Amino acid sequence: MSAPATTTTPSRRLPVPRPLQKLFDCVPLLTYEANGLPARSQSATSGDLPTLYVFTSDEDARLGAPSFNPGCLKWQTFLRLAGVEFRILPSTNHASPTGSLPFLLPARTTDTKTAPEPETLRLDAYQALLDLPIRNAWLQALYLDSDQSALLDRLYIEPASSSRWIRTTLRHQLRRAAEQEILKTTSTPSSTTVDDKALYAAAWDAFNALAVLLAESETGWFFSSPAPTLFDASVFAYTHLMLQLLDAPDDDDEVHGGLMPPRSNLRRLGAMVRNAGSGELALHQRRVRELAWLEPAAVAVEGIL
Amino acid sequence: MVLELHVWGPAFHLPSIDAECLAAVAYLSQTTNSAEYRLIQSSPSAVPTHHLPALHDLTSDTWTSGFGPITAHIRAHPPPTFRDNDASPPPGSSHSAQSRQRAAAADATAYSAFLTAHAAPLLALSLYVSSANWAATTRPAYSAILPFPLPWIEPSAVRAAMADRAGHLGMSSLDTDAADAEKGSGDSVSSAGWVQVPASLRSKMAATSVKEALTPEQASRIRLDGMAADVLDVLAEVEWEPASATAVDEATTTTAVRCLAFAYLALMLLPDVPRPWLKDVMRARYPGLCDFIGRFAIDCFSAGGAGGPLPWATSSSGGSSSNSVGGVCARFAHGLAGEMPLVGRQWRRWWTQRGKKQQPEEQHQKGLGKQTVVTRNGSKNKDVLLLAGAGLATLAVVNAAVFWYRALPPFGAPVQTWRLPLVSLSTLGAAGAMFASVLSDVE
Repeated sequence: MSAPATTTTPSRRLPVPRPLQKLFDCVPLLTYEANGLPARSQSATSGDLPTLYVFTSDEDARLGAPSFNPGCLKWQTFLRLAGVEFRILPSTNHASPTGSLPFLLPARTTDTKTAPEPETLRLDAYQALLDLPIRNAWLQALYLDSDQSALLDRLYIEPASSSRWIRTTLRHQLRRAAEQEILKTTSTPSSTTVDDKALYAAAWDAFNALAVLLAESETGWFFSSPAPTLFDASVFAYTHLMLQLLDAPDDDDEVHGGLMPPRSNLRRLGAMVRNAGSGELALHQRRVRELAWLEPAAVAVEGIL
Repeated sequence: MVLELHVWGPAFHLPSIDAECLAAVAYLSQTTNSAEYRLIQSSPSAVPTHHLPALHDLTSDTWTSGFGPITAHIRAHPPPTFRDNDASPPPGSSHSAQSRQRAAAADATAYSAFLTAHAAPLLALSLYVSSANWAATTRPAYSAILPFPLPWIEPSAVRAAMADRAGHLGMSSLDTDAADAEKGSGDSVSSAGWVQVPASLRSKMAATSVKEALTPEQASRIRLDGMAADVLDVLAEVEWEPASATAVDEATTTTAVRCLAFAYLALMLLPDVPRPWLKDVMRARYPGLCDFIGRFAIDCFSAGGAGGPLPWATSSSGGSSSNSVGGVCARFAHGLAGEMPLVGRQWRRWWTQRGKKQQPEEQHQKGLGKQTVVTRNGSKNKDVLLLAGAGLATLAVVNAAVFWYRALPPFGAPVQTWRLPLVSLSTLGAAGAMFASVLSDVE
């Protein structure tokens, strides 16, 4: 009985039954050739330009248009202001090595450039305005306010999936995560709801403080820096998106000399940006936009893409 | 007597254990005569906003919570003796004075945000996340200021929130309680093998490396020092006190942000903790900040200071029963319900929203949209009804459970029994019956 197995593999102790061996000898039935890489992977993984992966749409990525996520837009603006040639590609958090966007894949050959950076500890204090009140207001406005749910769907939900169930779950998860982020910074242990009025009031104070800081500067950039810095880019990331996405026309008589937020538009962050101080933030936003997106050098980069 | 400030109670020789509450107390004592307001020792479960500090304005019967909204409310509705050093200068004053005033206000906003964003997580690491400091200092302090069953519930919730807040700093190694709970009790056997060394000997033998012999605070001391320096460098640069008492209007900071900075720094410096890394850093490298804390505390809270002794009151004049036995029991039950798995979160969310929804229209009419305002009129009866209903429902569930338990057979009793049928001749069909009758006849 042990004869059939020992014909092929004499050293094996347990004989394999003949019919089984016949069956397995047929496998693999057919070996396919290795798949070629997808066509877009050529541009996604290689190239002489560094690649910044951000939240954006395919169309906007081709045009190099601003991303709709403040964290991504900050670095996109900073790189453009520093004159670095790079390209952007749409991505999601799942693709990132750190679990969050943006991330940068450097080019094969790198050259170093230095960007101006103001050396002052006051910057840390003003950076906290962006990290706390303004970020919280942005999260509240985009994720938790029900009147912006169409916008949220368009930016984050609809590109992710076409299934209604997945979209509902995703929306719920995003809302929950945004709420957790806000609650974490306000240290309210037993309260599990967000106090939106206080958030918007704090954001209004923060915008006014930034406008006063900008008015102090002689050069038009924060901290009297001769050229726009990372801090300008991070302010622009929020003001630009609020003016573009969360704005609505307001009546001039609603604004009481810049002392109070316009009450009918209390939730319109774009209106807050325009009316803070004497409008310095909107002017700053326009300057950064012109410098980063409308200069001929920047257009040349887009020509390469 | 128009204002009531509800705060966490005193600890560490300071009027409050919580930084924002301490700042609110300091702000009121700096700006308002002590006859105009009262301080009430409380906890979040006793106020309708579920967040401390909470200011109850008795004239308009509104609740405002959070340090920023409270200072805004007091400035908008100042009590008669309110002294605001930060008021905008008169219109005739020079242009430079006005711009300096605006710059000071902008700086104050920025430093308030900085303190909330960065000093609060640092303080949370020192007092709440670090297991040794929590067990030896902070938890006993909370136990001392809360009425009896509440220390079982509320301090742990505060600690969890504070740990969340400091989560981005990545220093969870300080929390040895969590590490112990993860390890469980089973690993002593697995690591020791078949030889069972008594635990007291084993810990000394196992601590062979330097890293194991160090406390978590010592092991990560360099990172902790770096974090403390990141925050305190920024704060040490600011001139927190006006150069002289007469130059108040030339101050670079406002009263509100000064109070907030004092509150966070004092809680970093003053508590007597067993692992005093933050205290050591402050004493060694930032003597200016330590001096500021000392002077400010004397100015604010000593009997001969600006505001006189603090006007503590035992209960609020609104007839609030939150500190009575029944009130404390209700708060305890509410806290228990909030801790229940699965449903606790929904319960708390629903409860908070319910408190906030009460009469939002009236609040709009009053034009107080900027603050967190919760108005509460005659909702006491509803609360009692609701609590009674919830109590009845709980009672019904408990009764049903008891009934079901009583209906169970006694423990150990057989649940099923099989009996062997009695085999006799009469069960064996017609022949059997015949034989049976014959036999019975014979007998």
